[in-house]
Amino acid sequence: MSSLSFDQGSTSSLFLAKDNADKDNHGSRYIPPWTTPYIIGVGGLSGSGKTSVAAKIVSSINTPWTVLISLDNFYKPLTPEERELAFKNTFDFDQPHSTDLDLAYQCLLSLKQGKKTTIPVYSFVHHNRVPDKSITIYGSSVVVIEGIYALYDQRLLDLMDLKIYVDADLDVCLARRLSRDIVSRGRDLEGCIKQWEDFVKPNADKFVKPTMKNADAIIPSMGNNGVATQTLINHIKSKLQLKSKKHLKELVKLGYIQNTKALSEMSNIHELEPTNQVLSLRTMLLDKYLTRDDFVFYFDRIATILVSRALDDITCRKGSQIITPSNIVIDSPTVVEFDKVTAINIVRSGDCFMKSLKKTIPSIAVGKLLIQSDSHTGEPQLHCEFLPPQLEDFEQVLLVDAQIISGAAIIMAIQVLLDHGVPLQKIKVIVYLATEIGIRRISNAFNDRVSIYAGHIVATDALGTDNWARIRFVDSKYFGCD
Amino acid sequence: MSSEPHKNVFLLPQTNQLLGLYTIIRDRDTKRPDFIFYSDRIIRLLVEEGLNHLPVTPRTVETATNQIFRGVSFLGKICGVSIVRAGESMEQGLRECCRSVRIGKILIQRDEETALPKLFYEKLPDDIADRYVFLLDPMLATGGSAMMATDVLIKRGVKPERIFFLNLICSPEGIENYHSKFPNVKIVTGAIDACLDENKYLAPGLGDFGDRYYCI
Repeated sequence: MSSLSFDQGSTSSLFLAKDNADKDNHGSRYIPPWTTPYIIGVGGLSGSGKTSVAAKIVSSINTPWTVLISLDNFYKPLTPEERELAFKNTFDFDQPHSTDLDLAYQCLLSLKQGKKTTIPVYSFVHHNRVPDKSITIYGSSVVVIEGIYALYDQRLLDLMDLKIYVDADLDVCLARRLSRDIVSRGRDLEGCIKQWEDFVKPNADKFVKPTMKNADAIIPSMGNNGVATQTLINHIKSKLQLKSKKHLKELVKLGYIQNTKALSEMSNIHELEPTNQVLSLRTMLLDKYLTRDDFVFYFDRIATILVSRALDDITCRKGSQIITPSNIVIDSPTVVEFDKVTAINIVRSGDCFMKSLKKTIPSIAVGKLLIQSDSHTGEPQLHCEFLPPQLEDFEQVLLVDAQIISGAAIIMAIQVLLDHGVPLQKIKVIVYLATEIGIRRISNAFNDRVSIYAGHIVATDALGTDNWARIRFVDSKYFGCD
Repeated sequence: MSSEPHKNVFLLPQTNQLLGLYTIIRDRDTKRPDFIFYSDRIIRLLVEEGLNHLPVTPRTVETATNQIFRGVSFLGKICGVSIVRAGESMEQGLRECCRSVRIGKILIQRDEETALPKLFYEKLPDDIADRYVFLLDPMLATGGSAMMATDVLIKRGVKPERIFFLNLICSPEGIENYHSKFPNVKIVTGAIDACLDENKYLAPGLGDFGDRYYCI
């Protein structure tokens, strides 16, 4: 993880004919990568192993907000007649026009501009777009788009920073397709061969293979492409670093690098002071034999301490005067407007703070964000947002989560708030348990300008033995279901 | 962590938030629901601060990942003792931190004939001598009734250094009086007012805490 080498000489000469990632303006100030994501296209024949290559890139670059998009999502909805053919395996899915490249371009363009983008979901069972279902991608730092026609449309090519073609012999592709379709999809051999002969092979020769010339790098099919893929990954990492030097240096390495400032010296990071109470509560909450009843009680307690701590330096103003019941006038009293505070909970783990929030500010406005890690790519996705109206009128926005592990969800949540007009200095992240890596990643992503209040930060050095900090147990135990 | 302006007086950090809370409860225009809510919040902070002074002992627990975590756990038994009626308003704050805590009561009222405080009633846990005691009374003005209550506790065998006197506001005179007799009792407070007025009320104060919490 920590050792990334960027060997410029070998990477560029081996596989990379040309590269357009240098067009970014390095001289400008910090640019968050999700406003100008690095877009990688991965094309190649059906069965060439491009999906594996794309997945390997996504998992290897290990950067929050990496999105893997399959062009399969952009298959055009079929007419009833076409659908009929499709069910009989006699519809040609492998022609360029069966994919809605116009829509793919619109989506990719809007991602390139850092906008919230909605991608359709295609069902191979119904041969139609799934109604009312879509994937929302809300900004991203790296977009990997894969599909046989990823390198086909010039408009898509123009948006890409790196174009990869995965090359494989047609017979290898056929072998792979057969084993995939027969073993995993339960099709019969004859149908598969027919489809191959009638559609896949002709289209491959006519449309797919020529896209090889659009590629910056051509890499061999899986199995023997470990070195090639790794070289590409190294190259991508180096390009990402060049593109957003300050940000990426920290996003990829942060948490793993030792020579950074200690968290305790950072003015934006606040860990609950380890008083006797706090230490005792932490200990109890970590005890796996603690009953749920006690867990909820003690979590509420420490959460209340934490919420109150986060509000200690709430913005205040001097009022004109108040009069006490014994008619003494107090001039310019400190006035705090608790109704200008709102909380945004990350569903579901942030909801562990509901009681403590209401205990602190009874009528607090509460918004919710559902951000979940994609089980395939491991990357966070924004599923929905319910934010209080006039969010920009609040003076303090508490962003609440029970645990921070990678920090990616909070980074996304902060970006959502920024996009809704909340300035960074109004945001306070409140979290009970956090890893140092996660905290550093968040802090670095926003140039140390976001305040974080944590109940317990587990240092990177301790993670070897303290890996309980890397599993989500707080909300499971609080709500009583995994 | 609180500061210690006088020996054995622990003053909550004077943050924006705390000052804002006090502004609300001092304001005569604050309605009772708000008065109760924001007083309760300050009381909770006082209780947490008081609990922080209790000793702990090392404790090892097994985590969900079956690892060992070396932490600590509370040591020693506690109880609350409230001075009826205003002190009872602080019981809920204590219960929110310590669910089944025992709570004793002491009723002290001014004797109409002598104008001095007089003990009318006491009901305390039998084993109070073995416990840390949180003495609850929201205001420390002259300290007369608090001193009488503390006397009761000490006569029951409670060690002075194990008594924590929690209040929302105190006066410098009150602290001085009280500590001249019980220098080892720890006072945990959120505000120290300028002085007492001619009627021996806290100034600026917040009026009669019991009345505002229970009646007005």
